[in-house]
Amino acid sequence: MGDENPKGGLTRRQFLKGSAVTPLALMLAGGAIASVYLRPTDARGFTLRPPGALAEKRFLAACVRCGMCAQACPHQAIKLAGGEAGAGIGTPVITPRETPCYLCQDLPCVKACPSGALDKKLEDIEQVRMGTAVIIDRESCLSIRGLRCEVCYRQCPLIDKAITLQLRHNTRTDEHTIMEPVVHKEKCVGCGICENSCVLPKPVIVVRRTVEVQKDSYDF
Amino acid sequence: MTFKWWLPRRTLQLAVVALIALPALGLGFFRGNLAAAELLGIPLADPLAFLQALIGGKVLVLSYLGSALSVSAVYFLLGGRSFCGWICPVGLITELGDKLSRYSGCAGKSIPLASSRWSLGLVLLTVALTGVPLFEVLSPIGIVNRAIAFASLLPLLLPAAILLVEIAVSRRVWCRSLCPLGAFYSLLARFSPLRVGFVKERCTHCGDCLQVCPVREVLAPPLERGAPQVTAGDCSRCLACIDSCSAKALTVDFFHKRSRTR
Repeated sequence: MGDENPKGGLTRRQFLKGSAVTPLALMLAGGAIASVYLRPTDARGFTLRPPGALAEKRFLAACVRCGMCAQACPHQAIKLAGGEAGAGIGTPVITPRETPCYLCQDLPCVKACPSGALDKKLEDIEQVRMGTAVIIDRESCLSIRGLRCEVCYRQCPLIDKAITLQLRHNTRTDEHTIMEPVVHKEKCVGCGICENSCVLPKPVIVVRRTVEVQKDSYDF
Repeated sequence: MTFKWWLPRRTLQLAVVALIALPALGLGFFRGNLAAAELLGIPLADPLAFLQALIGGKVLVLSYLGSALSVSAVYFLLGGRSFCGWICPVGLITELGDKLSRYSGCAGKSIPLASSRWSLGLVLLTVALTGVPLFEVLSPIGIVNRAIAFASLLPLLLPAAILLVEIAVSRRVWCRSLCPLGAFYSLLARFSPLRVGFVKERCTHCGDCLQVCPVREVLAPPLERGAPQVTAGDCSRCLACIDSCSAKALTVDFFHKRSRTR
C-alpha cells in the first residue's frame, strides 16, 4: 500500500499512524469523557455532604476519598458516591430520605477526616451548615392544609429554633387553627431529619443548598 | 528449602487487602484505605493525595502533613516503588494479568517507563488549574479500595479494563508507564538506600532474572555494565530477580552511597 520503506524501519506514514494518531485519538476521547464526567458534582444538583464540608468545589479537591468519615458515622448515614457522581466518585454523601445526619454531639465524621475537607474548626453542632431545609410543596404539606401533622417540627433537633410553628386561623373551616412549620434559615443546620421524617411519600420539606445571606440588589 | 522473597511479599499484599476489608467486618484497629488511613491509632497518608488536597483544596492540616511526610520517609528508606511491589492492590491485579498474558502468549510490546512522569505532571497540573484531583477521581487504587471496603463494585470496570489491556496489549502498562503514584514513588526511590545489588563475579548470564523482572529495562543495563547495584527509581523492589537467581548473584541491601557507574 505504499507503506513499505525500502530502507527498513518506519516510514513517515507508519510513524504518524502508530505514534501520533493513536495517542491523539485517545486524548480526544479522554477529553470528551472527562468534560462530561469531571464536572463538579454540584453541576448536577445539590449533594448533601457531611457536617463541616468545605464549599463544594474546594471539598471535591480536598477530599481524598478515604471513606473514614463513613466508617466513623455511627448511623451509617454517610455513604460514598459511585461513578454516577463524576468527579465526586468516592466522596461522602448523605441521603436524608434513607438516613439523615443525626448530628452527633462529638462530630465523629469531622474528627475522622484527615485532610480537612470536613473543617476541623467546626465543634458546635449548631454551627453546622450542610444545607437548608425548604418546604418545596406548600399545597401538599399536611400542616399547611390544616391537618395535624407537624412531624418535621417535632423531629427537628433544633426545635423552636430552626423550625417554628406559625399559628393562624383556618378560614376554610372557620373554627380550627393552621399550624404552619416555618424554617429559619439562619438556624437550620441542614441535617435532613425533617426530610427523613416527612410522612408523605414524596417529602414536601427537603434540604437544599445553603442559601447565602442575600445581598440587597444595590449592594455590590 | 531456601528463603524466597515472593512469600512475604504476597503475604503483605494480601494482608493489605484484608486490612482494608476489616472495618466492614466491624473490627476497629484499621480505618480508611491507601489514600489515608489509621492503623492502631497511627495516621497514615498517601503523599500524592495530600499534594492534590493541598493544591486543589488549599487546606493544610498539620497532622495530615505530618503523616504524609512520615509515610514518604518510610517509602524513601524502603525503596519508593516498594509500594507498588508490596502494598498496592492494583499491583496484585496487574501481576495476575502478567501471569495470564504469559500464559496466553499475547504479551505485546512495552511502553516506555518515562510516560508515568507525564501522567504525574498532568495530575498536578490539572489539580492546580481546575481544582479537580484527577488521580483521586480516576485512581484504580481508590476504586479497588472502595470496592473492598464499601462494596462499591461498578467502578471496578476501570481496573478490569486495565487488566484486559495488560493481558492483551501491553504488559503491565498501567503500573509501569501510566500510574502517577508509581511515578511519584519512583522519584523518591532514585535516592533510596534500599537497592538490589549485583555481584558480577557470580553471574552466569543465564537471563532468568530478566525474564521475571517487570521493568527489565532498569535491570538489564547495570547487569550488562557489571554495576554493583540497580539505581533506577522504577525498580519496584519486588525481588523476583533474587528469587529467580540460582547463582545468588543478586542481593538486596541498604547501600550507603550511590555507585559511580549508573
